[in-house]
Formats: sequence, structure tokens, C-alpha cells
Amino acid sequence: MMSNDGEPLVVAKDLGKAFGDFVALHPLNVKVASGEFFGVFGPNGAGKSTFIKLLTGQLRPSMGGAKVLGINVRADPRMVKANVGIVPESESPPSFLTAAEYLEFVARLRSLEDIGEKVDYWLDWFGINDKKHTLCKDLSKGQRQKVMLAGAFIHKPKLLFLDEPFVNLDPIYQRKCRELLIETVNDGGTIFLCTHILEVAERLCTRVAVIDRGHVLASGKVDDLKINKDETLEDVFIRLVGTSIEEIEAKDGDEEE
Amino acid sequence: MLTNYHPPKISESFWVTFRMMFKEEWRQNIDFAKKRHIALFPVMLALLSLIMTIGLRYLTGEVLISANEEQQAFSWDQLKMYMHGGIFAFSLSMGSFAFIGRVMVSQRGGGKNYLLASPAVQPLDLVTNYFAYYAKEVSYYVLMLLTPAVIGMAGGILLEQFASLSTPLEWASLPVVLLALTTTLAQGLALSFIASAFFSRGGKWSYIIPILGIGIALLGALQIVDIRLMIPGMLYQFSHQHWIPLVSIPASFFVAYIGAHFVPDDFEIHVTAKSELLTPVWERLPFLGNGMLRLLVAKDLVDLWRSNTLVKMLISYTVPLLFLLLLAWLVDFASFPIPFNLLSYAPFLGFFGFQFYSWLNGMDSPDFLNGFPVTLPQLLRAKIVVYFLITTWISVIFLIVMAKVLDQMWALPAALIVMIANSIYIVCLTALLMGPRPNKAIFDTSIMAWFYVGTIVPLLSLFLISFTQGDMAIYENWGSMVSDQGLNATTAVLVEENAAGQGLRGILFVSLILTLLGISFLMMLNRRWGRKPFEN
Repeated sequence: MMSNDGEPLVVAKDLGKAFGDFVALHPLNVKVASGEFFGVFGPNGAGKSTFIKLLTGQLRPSMGGAKVLGINVRADPRMVKANVGIVPESESPPSFLTAAEYLEFVARLRSLEDIGEKVDYWLDWFGINDKKHTLCKDLSKGQRQKVMLAGAFIHKPKLLFLDEPFVNLDPIYQRKCRELLIETVNDGGTIFLCTHILEVAERLCTRVAVIDRGHVLASGKVDDLKINKDETLEDVFIRLVGTSIEEIEAKDGDEEE
Repeated sequence: MLTNYHPPKISESFWVTFRMMFKEEWRQNIDFAKKRHIALFPVMLALLSLIMTIGLRYLTGEVLISANEEQQAFSWDQLKMYMHGGIFAFSLSMGSFAFIGRVMVSQRGGGKNYLLASPAVQPLDLVTNYFAYYAKEVSYYVLMLLTPAVIGMAGGILLEQFASLSTPLEWASLPVVLLALTTTLAQGLALSFIASAFFSRGGKWSYIIPILGIGIALLGALQIVDIRLMIPGMLYQFSHQHWIPLVSIPASFFVAYIGAHFVPDDFEIHVTAKSELLTPVWERLPFLGNGMLRLLVAKDLVDLWRSNTLVKMLISYTVPLLFLLLLAWLVDFASFPIPFNLLSYAPFLGFFGFQFYSWLNGMDSPDFLNGFPVTLPQLLRAKIVVYFLITTWISVIFLIVMAKVLDQMWALPAALIVMIANSIYIVCLTALLMGPRPNKAIFDTSIMAWFYVGTIVPLLSLFLISFTQGDMAIYENWGSMVSDQGLNATTAVLVEENAAGQGLRGILFVSLILTLLGISFLMMLNRRWGRKPFEN
């Protein structure tokens, strides 16, 4: 599915990242169309967060480039950030602002109208309105995650980049968030999700990519990646990643010999 | 249309960021101390300023009917210069927030996060962000430091009308004083910020910036350039030419704005692999036993090395020492009438430990230790040990060089004792009062009052007693007698009831007291910080 303008919302072309000698992400090509729920999976250190950071202008690519919403990310990362919602992995809102102040700050940076109403709406939605005047440092991890999510949703972006958004959330709000994300996609929005919770991803994602050690091992619709109907996404994940590790170990063994 | 929003204009993002940063700063301060302590700080400052305003004539000696210029302790001009010099030095020390910003950005994945890290996910550019931080710093210090000080001066003038006291200050002077001090503060913060921004870029800047800094300081110290021309706020204080702040304050903001362009974009993560260092460092510390102290010291030393903080810390420690050395040389060169000597400088070497201790605490977040069987006092003791391991040799080298410059090698043993005693005392006092957050204690009235009394009293007493050693004859006699008569000669000279002998015993006695106090502060760490969480 393409956007209204016929252009994919996310285009990564030979996009890669190296930190010195260490290649965190080998050049990859990915397109995400408007209305897609795109999932990226991989073991720890696979390069998922690096991928999101490259697409949202938090990191500069070492190879290739990316366009998000038709914007060249390298050339204008602020324009990208102005138009998407980002929930980074394990990042807290500023410790010494209250939950309401943080959302107000985010809303003002985005020149939103009716800021007070929007802040109250999202604090209510996440069930933390009673914490609106609590300093973010004094909130629980789950509450801080809710504040970060509210900050990403507050301007109703067409495209959301979510890195492990469900971690630290209780089951009730995990479900609420899932429903919100589905609703967003049904309304024409697009989600780019990194998560380890594969059952969630299996239920939500229309297309996925499995990454390991900076390489894309497989990508496509969830059903297309399965060998048979009984296979779950977790089975697919273990099969793909497990194989790749064995292959690498075998290669290492060959080299040592 | 694929996009609905545009990044905010600088004017929009600046004001909201500035406002929120101001709140953040206030909250950070009251988070460390009780709110009333913070609120009391400007009140205490105003009171202090009021007392000084009333006592100005006594301070300068003008109150004495017979006083002529030579008999005055300070001249008016000197007082004005010291006031601006103090504010300038303070703003230089507080303005290096390009360093702080990098730490905040690198630690944003931890338990705490700050607005300086906002550009990672918000459409806020780094330049606006840092520029707003600079504006916040200037306005916060104007509000918390300068305004209360000027209000205190106003109180002093007001008292003149009700009591039979007289002060040379006039109502019309107050706006000038406030504006002049603001000019100096804004300049110091801007220069320090731009220097730290360039220094943070590494490479050749790591050498250029310190050399430039020392060069500029030399220009002023050697009076090649009039210091009033180097600090426009001071020039305004003397000349009352109103165009000076009108040009200088915007110029300082412009310098800060330029500096903001050069802060490295640290959202770029550097994945670095390093060879094992903890165990090799730990193995080199057998003299610390096998307990927690050795492990924590090893960890902090590794942190110091890996975070590249060591270079910054050594520079921040050695620059004041170099300045002291220069001062010693100048005083000796100019045959200054006051008998400054090696023992006059030794206490200051210990005093600079405060800044070093602050750096040590800002290196890394200790939050992860909350889950381990370690206590905060153990960590604080480890930091004190690290401080001594890193700085003692520098101070010793400086004292030796200074003794050579002043040709006072005989005073070296006593000076070393004074330096070490003062170092122990100041660092232990700082650790006891401020724990893991020395930078945030600055606006806590009760802590700063204790710190002020605790440092000024011993420092001043050692400084004043040191003048008894001005001619150094006692050491020369002792030296020549030892070489002639062996060690028995020591007693013979030191029991001499002359001023120098008494003075030396006084210095050694104060040093002993300071050492004992330092040790008792170490023991009191458990009581004050034993139940506190690891949080900086």
C-alpha cells in the first residue's frame, strides 16, 4: 500500500551504520507504505534501535540514506521529528518537569492548539491524571513510559516510531495501547515498531523484518515467513536467528581451523 | 501532503525551552535541599550584602579619622575590582555546560533525563537548546545572586536614614552595580561556555583552548592589557558609560549563540570496545586492602580514564595552580610589601580540591549501586581516596616549583604538611556537607553557610599566620644548624620564642586540627549519608 502521493512513507536505501570498525547495521533496503504496521524483530544488539535512530535522525548514517514522509532524514532531521511520533527505548521524560509540563513542552514545540485540553486528554487516557503535577523522576517506570507515549501521540502523527513501547506497561495499558495503534492504522496512520514481545507483534504487524547482527535475515508478511500454519512468529524468529548464529559459529570454526 | 507540521521557529522553541529549563533548574535545586533553604539563600545573601554595605567604610578604613590612603585596608577601586573578579571567576566556573550537556545526553537512557537531551526526539535544534540553557543560567544567577545582593545594598542605604550609619553608596549607584555585575556574569558564562564547546570537540581544540585561556589570563595578570578592558562590566562600574552594558551583554549572548553551534552532537552514539581495565587497576591498589573501598576506587579510576574526564579535571585543577604560581612569581618579582611566602600559598592548593571533587561526582550516575550491598558513605570515601591519588603529586610538584621560584626550599616540608592537611580537610568537609551532589548544593543556604565558615576561617587563619614566616630566617637558621650540628639542632631553633617560631608552631597546630577534623568528618559520613540513596 502506498501513501496518498504514491510514495512509501519510509524508504531506507542501502542504509547502514558503523561505529568505528563495528558495523551495527549493514546496508539494508526497506520500504514501509502508508497504513502499514511494520515490525522489526531481532535479538539484543541486533541493530533494531540503531535502525529506528537512523530513520528518525537521531543518528547519521555511515552508508546510504533514508527518506521519511518524503523528507531526506539526513538533510532535515527536525522536519522528520516535527511530523512523526517517537518513543525511544528506555528513555525517560525530563526528570524535573511534571508529567503535565513535559506534555505542555512537547505540545508547544509542535505549535499545537488547545494545549491544556490535549494534555488532560492524554493524561486521562493513560490513567495518570492524578500524577499530572508529579515530577517525572518520581513516577514509576511504567508511568514514565506512559508519559513518553502520550508525548508521541499528542500531535496525532501519521507515522509513529515505537521502540519497545509496551515494556513496563501493565497488561491493561498494553491492551489499550495495542487497540490505539490498531485504530491509528485503520485511520490511515503508519506504525514502525521494534519489540521483543512476539505474540503482540504477531497480532498487530502486517509486515515484519527480522534483523540479526546488523543483517536483515528475512522480511515480508508474517504468514509468508512461516513454513506451515502451526508455526508461530516466535518459532520463525528462533528458526531464523538460531540458524544464523549456528552459521556464524560454523564460519568462526572454519576460520579457526 | 505527507507532512502536517513544521519544526518550530527559533523564537517559539527558545521561549518554551527557556521557561521549562528555568523550572527544571529551580526544581533541581529544591530537590537537593529543602525548599526553605533555597528560598533563604537570596535572603541570606541580601543580609550579607546589607551588612557589608553598612561596613564598607570600616572595610576600607575610611572610617578612621586619621586614615590616609596608605592606611586603608582596601581602596574603593580594589573593592570594585574584587567584586567583579569574584563574579567573573564564579561565572567561568559555572559556564562550562557544554561538558555537562554531554554527560546529560549520554545518560538519558538511565533513570534521569534533562531538557538538554530533548533534541533526540523532539523537533528542537541543538543550538536553540544550548542557547536557551545559557539564557537560563544568566537569568537564574541574576535572580538568585545579583538581585538579592543589590537589594541588600539598598537595605544598607535605607538603614542610613534610620540609624546613624553612613554608607558611600547612593540610590543611583544601584542600577549601575546590578547592570555592571550582570555584564560581568554574562561575559564569564559565555566565555566559559564557548571554550567548553570547542574543547568538547577534542583534537587540536584540547590544546588550543587551555593555551588560549592561560594566554588571556597572563595578559591580565601581567597587566599587559588593563583588566578593566578585559572585563567590560568592571569598566562600566568605573566609568558609568551606559553604552558598555548595552553592547557587552548582547555581545555575550552572541558569543554564547556562536558557542551553541559548536557543541558536538552527542546523540551520535560511539560504540567503543575496550580491553579489560578494572582488574589491572584493582591489582595496583593492594594498599587499600581487599574490601569495598579498593573495588570502588578501582571503578572510579576506570571511569575517570574512560570518560576522558581526567584531562578536563586535571586542567581545571592545574589552571588555578598555574595562576597561583604566576601570582607567587609576580609578588616576589615586584617585592610586594606584604610578606607572602610559600606557606601563604600552600592552603590554597588544598582549597582547589572542591572543584575536583565536584567533577568526580559528575562522572557517572551511581544509581546502579542502589541494588548492591554498598553504602553511599563507602562511595564518598572512595571518591576522596581517588582525589588524593590523582591530585597529590600535582600539588607536590607545584609546591616544589613554587619553592624554587620563591627560593624558599627550607619552607617546603611545612608547606607540604599545610597543603596535605588542608586538602584532607576541604575534601572531607565537602563530602560531608554535599555528599554526591556538590554542584547542586550551591543554593542551599545552610550548606553554603557551613561551607563558607568551614573554609574561610581555617584558610584565612593559615594565610594570616603565614606572614610570620615572611623572612624565612628560621628555616635558613635551622637548615644551616642542621648541616653544622646534626638533627639535634632542630629543637634548639624551633623553641626560640620569636614570632616566626610561634607562627610556625601555630601553622602546624592548625594543620593538625584540620587533619583531625577531616578524619572526624570522614567518620561522620555514615551518620549523614548512611541512609541516603545513590543519586547525583
